[in-house]
Amino acid sequence: MDSGDRAARRLFFSAGLTCALAGLLVLGFMVVLGLPLIRSGMLWDILTGPWSPDHGQFGILAMAVGSVYIAGLSLIIAFPVSLGASLFIEVVRPRGAGRLLEWLVRLMTAIPTVIYGFVGIFLLVPLVRSFSGQGSGLCILTAALMLAVLICPTMILFFSRSIARVPRTWLDAVDAMGGTPYQKVRHIIFPAAWPGIVSGTVLAFGRAVGDTLIALMLGGNAVTLPESVLDSARTLTAHIALVIAADFDSLEFKTIFISGILLYVMTGLGILAARAAEKNL
Amino acid sequence: MNDAPKIKIRGLNFWYAKRQILEDIRLDIRYRSITSITGPSGQGKSSFLTVFNRLWENIDGARATGRVCMDFGNGFEDINHPDCRLPLLRRRVGMVFQMPNPLPMSIRKNMAFPLTLMGEKNGKTVAAKAETALRQALLWDEIKDRLNEDARALSGGQQQRLCIARSLVLEPQVLLLDEPTSSLDEAAVHEMEKLLLRLKKDRTIILVSHYMDQVRRIADRHLVLRDKKLVSP
Repeated sequence: MDSGDRAARRLFFSAGLTCALAGLLVLGFMVVLGLPLIRSGMLWDILTGPWSPDHGQFGILAMAVGSVYIAGLSLIIAFPVSLGASLFIEVVRPRGAGRLLEWLVRLMTAIPTVIYGFVGIFLLVPLVRSFSGQGSGLCILTAALMLAVLICPTMILFFSRSIARVPRTWLDAVDAMGGTPYQKVRHIIFPAAWPGIVSGTVLAFGRAVGDTLIALMLGGNAVTLPESVLDSARTLTAHIALVIAADFDSLEFKTIFISGILLYVMTGLGILAARAAEKNL
Repeated sequence: MNDAPKIKIRGLNFWYAKRQILEDIRLDIRYRSITSITGPSGQGKSSFLTVFNRLWENIDGARATGRVCMDFGNGFEDINHPDCRLPLLRRRVGMVFQMPNPLPMSIRKNMAFPLTLMGEKNGKTVAAKAETALRQALLWDEIKDRLNEDARALSGGQQQRLCIARSLVLEPQVLLLDEPTSSLDEAAVHEMEKLLLRLKKDRTIILVSHYMDQVRRIADRHLVLRDKKLVSP
């Protein structure tokens, strides 16, 4: 191995190490800043109690549940839509209409999140309000629907990329033995593209859990435990944004570090679950 | 009437985008025979083969007009007619590609796959048919103890014979072969030729080849594709 080779190796290794460390540092930073609260013995109350700062209660359970509801529901809506769209792009109409759709999806990735929020307020909120016949229309369902639109492009592009990588020769073999398009998808494309489908879903889940603006603008920001998808809810991310905007260095403020750690754990669990799903197909 | 025509082609034209590959082809192909197609490369030999199972429909910009009529026992039917059911056609007209294309699964599953696609669920039937086809393709003795191994672990020659066996498992009446020996060594080529001579006894074989000596050894009829026409040499 010559010296240039060795230098390149070191460079890439340190680049990789930096990335890995950055992730761990963020977690460490939040734990250190949240430590006073963790030590104070209030951790259990914060994780399970209600949010009522005037009464000295800083529970974030409602926000954690709000995050799970909104991100989970948006994933449930976006997954089948994305799978269908990517199959349309790669299998049903690989030329013409499929390419046009792919182009539009790419365009969607360039739209700023706040625009989606705006569109949600003016188009989706009235629709959900009149459909549900209750409340302001700012609720879990509204936020999840708009969030689904936001994460669809990520999933569609990931899915269709991995579907496109399925070797042509396998598909020709199935076609030549009289397989229907459905059978081709079911027996060859899905198994072969599965790792990519899982990765795309993980990425989209991370985006859905991490998104702040949509939940903030459309979720209604209620701090009570939601009971149905038509209830208003506040996510952990929206909670962090709202507290940071209003406060500094109070006990209330310190709960946002616990919120951060909780978000970290949630996405971590999501990734682990996805890895398990990838192996067990 | 063993030598009655099995396939009749009338007025067949074939294009890639604007480039015409075949022009006004008229051809009768007999039952229980090997018809070989040779010709300079890039003239559309492989495209011509896809005319018999309409696999050309998968190719970007490809277009065909004219009639390709086949007799599967109920008189001649035009396979380009809208009433023709594609999955059924492709079960009756098997195809073996130039490069062996085993599917990413075990040998056993590769063999069962075409049967699964047509809805055969009886495990015993599937196993019996797979064994028969593997014996026909002269592969059974080599792999009978390795059925659960990944098919892609076989040698090139074995993979190609597996692909032939896989198309034979549906008992096709017509077998299309696109230079099936081009990836094989000499011994495997010899085996393959013996196999084709046996297989033609109860089906119609159409073979694209660029080995003239091979064609002379096994073909009943030899055609050359040149300047958009099929001619006898």
